[in-house]
Amino acid sequence: MSSEPVEDNQTDDVIRVENLVKRYDDLKAVNGVSFEVHRGEIFGILGPNGAGKTTTVEILEGMRVADSGTAMINGIDVSRDPRAVKSIIGVQLQSVQFFDQLKLHELVSLFGSLYSRKVNARELLARVDLTEKSDSLYKTLSGGQKQRLSVAVALVNDPVVLFLDEPTTGLDPQARRHMWELISSIRDGGATIVLTTHYMEEAEELCDRVAIMDSGEIVRLGSPSELIEELLATGFSKSRTVHPADLEDVFIHLTGHGLREDS
Amino acid sequence: MNFYVALTVASLKMYFRNWQGVFWSLFFPGVIMVIFGFINFGGFNAPNVGVVDRSNTPVSTRLISLLESFGSNEALDITVGTEDGLATLLDDGDIDAMFLIPEGFAEGDSKSVISVTADIRKPQEKAVALAVLNASLDRLFAEIEDVPAEFVVENRFGVEESSVEVDEEDFADFLVPGIAAMAIMQGGIFGVVFSLVRFRAQGVLRRLFATPIGPRHFLVGQVITRLTISLIQAYILLITGALILGVSVGGSVAAWLSLTVLALLGGALFISMGLAISGWAKTEDTAAPLSNIIALPMMFMSGIFFPVDVLPEAMRSVVQFLPLTYLADGMREAALDGSSLLELGPELLGLGIWTAVIFAVATRVFKWE
Repeated sequence: MSSEPVEDNQTDDVIRVENLVKRYDDLKAVNGVSFEVHRGEIFGILGPNGAGKTTTVEILEGMRVADSGTAMINGIDVSRDPRAVKSIIGVQLQSVQFFDQLKLHELVSLFGSLYSRKVNARELLARVDLTEKSDSLYKTLSGGQKQRLSVAVALVNDPVVLFLDEPTTGLDPQARRHMWELISSIRDGGATIVLTTHYMEEAEELCDRVAIMDSGEIVRLGSPSELIEELLATGFSKSRTVHPADLEDVFIHLTGHGLREDS
Repeated sequence: MNFYVALTVASLKMYFRNWQGVFWSLFFPGVIMVIFGFINFGGFNAPNVGVVDRSNTPVSTRLISLLESFGSNEALDITVGTEDGLATLLDDGDIDAMFLIPEGFAEGDSKSVISVTADIRKPQEKAVALAVLNASLDRLFAEIEDVPAEFVVENRFGVEESSVEVDEEDFADFLVPGIAAMAIMQGGIFGVVFSLVRFRAQGVLRRLFATPIGPRHFLVGQVITRLTISLIQAYILLITGALILGVSVGGSVAAWLSLTVLALLGGALFISMGLAISGWAKTEDTAAPLSNIIALPMMFMSGIFFPVDVLPEAMRSVVQFLPLTYLADGMREAALDGSSLLELGPELLGLGIWTAVIFAVATRVFKWE
């Protein structure tokens, strides 16, 4: 589907968002948000709960309609043709369970058929390290496995843009690192990734650029190192000494990098 | 279009892998049916007795009035008629026994014999009818001879009994098509409500909304699945009824065609009802009572376990328009009388109107998240 026309000639921006607004009653969940996402990057949207991250992403995914503003993905206006957008993106939603009574390879094939595609379910499951669970029912999966399956399902249509909404929330450190490796490998495969998270170390590890949202607005946008430099330039310094290792490093060191059977 | 196939295959797999669901929707109604069929609740009304009066004298008329007014509540339901007419009623199972008062009853000194013909399948009714007849004859004798009834040891009236085998529907015949109709209702309402409310709670409907297909098509897959299941349900119950309870079901291709169409139309009706309820109910906690409030009254009033005739007149006039009444009546006619689709016009019309109305409501109230 990457053969879709790209309107933008100057820079290769796969997503262009201009002045997006979404109100719920008198609450402005998204209040004039604008940004671009370059092709092939991992773009992070950060912010505290209720900052408007999920609403912004759901508008881009064609699941909610903005009150005003435009969102273009690969040259397609989301509000005009949400179906066309949905067919070229992959989506992983927060707190979604799949059908309990289906086996993993059946779930992957089922979602493939919704995009009129015949997918090699076992190969996709192998990509997210679920080969051994291929014939198990969804309900037997652990939290980390469920998250990885939802990534596999999001990849069935070989998407141009992959949206991941808090993909590591609730995972233990091993499962989280494993998910990070998976996300990097998907980017290396050529997809653009839009990621929301409220884990800063996750954003620092994965994202090429981040937008920091608060109260429905983007308060800063840039690469993680730029933003850190910017802050340090104001004379900021941490009140306590930063060790070259932190407690998570200790934890991983003691309990191993390997992914646990059940994570 | 092949995603419809994929969605339907997936929902069928989900349905059959959930063995509890399969048990409650496919086997439980069958178990209930067999148990009730063997218990045979057929006769709990006053026996219906037809009386042929060939004598037509004041004495024979007196006997009839004694029979009619016997006991504080009338013990017998008496119909007076001609021998031919009553014999037909007996043969159709509309009356349980027939008394024949001979010519010249109670005239002269010879013994007058009343012949009693009873339905062979109804021994209790026959026993009650004979007891009432004998007691009434004692009262009549006491009146004629002017002796206190308690002194009557033997009167000059005799009773001659015989039984007749009839081929009318018994309780199991009545029950089996009704249970099939009930199972279609239960499967439609409860099956749809619980799976959709759960899918919505799990967010999987929202996830489908993120694909180009959208959940509307997922619902089509669900409806096809449920229709298939309601058809299987109807067949299993009817065939179980035929094999275990000896109900002669269908018998012709036209009858099975009618049963199939009725099961599908009834399935569509109650599936729509399930969609409407699951749109209305936000959580599983409200879904269950809401489904029961709608399903239970129909289950008990629409002529599933007992005929609508036993309900008070006022209730009957409402109950006859309930969706389950149309389905149960139609299935009964098709299964027992072998009615073709043309003969089932009123039932099909009733079901069709209900389906259209409820489907329209369902599309308005259904929510994806």
